[in-house]
Amino acid sequence: MEVTLLNLMHGFSVAFQLDNLWYAFLGCLVGTLVGVLPGIGPLSGISILLPVTFGLNATQAVIMLAGIYYGSQYGGSTTSILMRIPGEASSVMTCIDGNAMARKGRAGSALCIAAVGSFIAGTFGVIMLTIVAPPLATIALRFGPPEYTALLILGLVFLAYMSSTSLVRTLLMACVGLMLGMIGIDNMTGHFRYSFDLVELGDGIGIVPVAVGLFGLGEILSTPSHKVTGEVISPKYRELLPNRQEWKESAWPIARGSVLGFIIGIIPGSAHVISSFLSYALERRVSKHPEEFGKGAVAGVAGPESANNAASTGAFVPMLALGIPTGPITAVLIGALMIHGVSVGPQLVNDHPDVFWGFVASMYVGNLMLLLLNLPLVGLFVSVLRIPYAYLYPLIIMFCIIGVYEVNHSVVDVWIMLIMGVVGYALRKFSFDPAPLVLGLVIAPIFEQSLRQSLIMSNGNYLIFFSRPISAALIAICIILLAMSAMTYMLKRKDWRDKLAEAEAGEPSA
Amino acid sequence: MDRRNFLMGTASMFAVAPAFAQDAFPSHTITILCAFPPGGANDIVTRPIAAAMEDIFKHPVVVETKAGAGGQVGAQVAAVAKPDGYTLLSHNNGISGYAEVDKLFGRQPKTQRSDFVPLARLIADPVLLLVNADLPYKTAKDFIDDAKKRPGEIVYSSGGLYGATHLPVALLEKATGVAQMRHLPTNGGGPAITALLGNNAQMSTQTVSASLAHIKAGKLRALASFGAARSKALPDVPTLKELGFDVEYYLWVGLFAPKGTPASAVATLSAAIDKAAATEQFKATLDKLGLEGGYLNAAGFAKFWEADAKSSDIAVQLIGKQG
Repeated sequence: MEVTLLNLMHGFSVAFQLDNLWYAFLGCLVGTLVGVLPGIGPLSGISILLPVTFGLNATQAVIMLAGIYYGSQYGGSTTSILMRIPGEASSVMTCIDGNAMARKGRAGSALCIAAVGSFIAGTFGVIMLTIVAPPLATIALRFGPPEYTALLILGLVFLAYMSSTSLVRTLLMACVGLMLGMIGIDNMTGHFRYSFDLVELGDGIGIVPVAVGLFGLGEILSTPSHKVTGEVISPKYRELLPNRQEWKESAWPIARGSVLGFIIGIIPGSAHVISSFLSYALERRVSKHPEEFGKGAVAGVAGPESANNAASTGAFVPMLALGIPTGPITAVLIGALMIHGVSVGPQLVNDHPDVFWGFVASMYVGNLMLLLLNLPLVGLFVSVLRIPYAYLYPLIIMFCIIGVYEVNHSVVDVWIMLIMGVVGYALRKFSFDPAPLVLGLVIAPIFEQSLRQSLIMSNGNYLIFFSRPISAALIAICIILLAMSAMTYMLKRKDWRDKLAEAEAGEPSA
Repeated sequence: MDRRNFLMGTASMFAVAPAFAQDAFPSHTITILCAFPPGGANDIVTRPIAAAMEDIFKHPVVVETKAGAGGQVGAQVAAVAKPDGYTLLSHNNGISGYAEVDKLFGRQPKTQRSDFVPLARLIADPVLLLVNADLPYKTAKDFIDDAKKRPGEIVYSSGGLYGATHLPVALLEKATGVAQMRHLPTNGGGPAITALLGNNAQMSTQTVSASLAHIKAGKLRALASFGAARSKALPDVPTLKELGFDVEYYLWVGLFAPKGTPASAVATLSAAIDKAAATEQFKATLDKLGLEGGYLNAAGFAKFWEADAKSSDIAVQLIGKQG
């Protein structure tokens, strides 16, 4: 512990060098912009700016590039809250209650809570990274395909708690999402599935075009059918800050989101997106007023926003401690360090203490910078809502198209987004919630792959899920959750017609 | 001037313009389509060569990511791009195998090797026979003997089916007579190494540059190299050829132009790539990445590709259809 503190002090002495401070600020600034602009994700942002760092030393480069990454997680919530367009896949859940808050005139408050929650979660993540990175990293390695499968089963169980509509509708949407997730090359056999001879569908349907289409475009298309005659919700400046009640409601969700997000973040794989989904479901489960979710529940913003920030910090644990990428973004960061002659692996801490501790310390500073950068911007962002729909919406559609194209440079993605926009319109008209569909789409390919990988490892024996401690524990949690739901359901002893009527009325079944 | 003359004049002006542009190739931005996502070898190597080419041409050379479907999206986009020398493709071993895999599945091949003109091989990174360091295998012989004794029990991870880290295993199996090992496909080189580190797979064939840090840290053990000569970074690791197995395999990155690109443009491009690859700046970048060169010019690359693609086809046939 003492050694850690000493090292951290050394790290701060590196991070507080004037040029390092400057690059941290630059990274955070670019990251915020990247996060706010829909579609231009941190991955393209970092890879475009990578050549710019060739002239810098390794510490400066990684401080700046990492700043873009965690900075973008701050900004991603802005468009979700204001316009119901997820800037990144991880801010899909923020669309639901964040935008509902904005409709009630609490946009500023939602943005503040998102920023503060992100700050707390980010700082919590860095503290954990400082203290427990090496032992945690070893656990992360034990997270193989069977553990992943069990985690995703837990995710699917949580689905039931996720939606504001009835259970039947939620499951229906989730099934559609899971089926859409089957599209693409079968990784195990090489068959193209449901791709209609389009190579672009080989990697499946992207999350960003679907999310932007269902939420953003669907929202815009359905607006003219409401009675909104140019009426704009323009909040007063003094109402920008959250009130005491809102702070109180967000405290625990932020704490829970931070822990949950960090744990999911350290698991190598590509499922960071589910941290915000799981946090939302968790908040809804523990909330005393689950009926408020979907109608502007503060916890529905605070939890997921904290979770996705903690996950982005958690992702650095296996990268720095083991040199293994947790996702595409950490892979690019490892590549960037290699270009600067720093080989990332278990000996990074010993070989390059300046880089390691300087980087860790810079994240403390960077998170503070982001908070200071984002809070004053809340007023500016909220002003966007003062623009009349007639001007705002065409602009949004343009940004959606450019943004979605930019992710993969793919016109097919733009078509997917447009089709999903029409689907999103229809879903709204029939009051289906698109969030479970997106979660199904996220889970399906990872779930299928880890399930089949597990069975390859065990040569077809399903007992592998129960013989490994972590996956056995996760499956036990699933069984307990399902049993609890079933118990309450059975204890009610109602006629099935009553239950159906109740379910259709949108009441939680558990 | 009557109207017809005006039209004729304008038309001839436009007709002359492209001819003029051809003389002064390149006259505007060149785009290199990179068929693999950022963070992979293609992206890491293509960006510095593009920067060096920019200095030579005095025109921008832009790297545009067109990733997807194991590199097939990029290959297909490049194959149908206008063959004027302004659109190039950065690809790897994958480009050799698509047609053969399509044949295996009875599909009409979307791209073939003849759709592309090879310009240069930028790097060739030999793959290593790697095992988790906790396993008892100390030499390649230990491993091969054990694999023969326990057919179908050893699990190996790869970055993807029919990919550059899957095919060498098929070639190894054929050369050594090891019976089918179990294949654990993942989503790329990084996840494949993670599976090996976590002992979810026991063996993997990955490149020197991708695995060196883990070997040095004592987490992975390199039993043999698929290169023609020993790697400078790992002088103690024997090559398969030394051990008596005639297998050679590299993960290479090459630049291509679409079929039909004018010969003059191809000549200008390959000369410029030659020069760019010889710059200190590019060499220094490769050094830092732990890549030991392997540059081949257009002629050398064409010859290499011919032979490499043949062994790739054989490997695809050996693997066959998986279900």
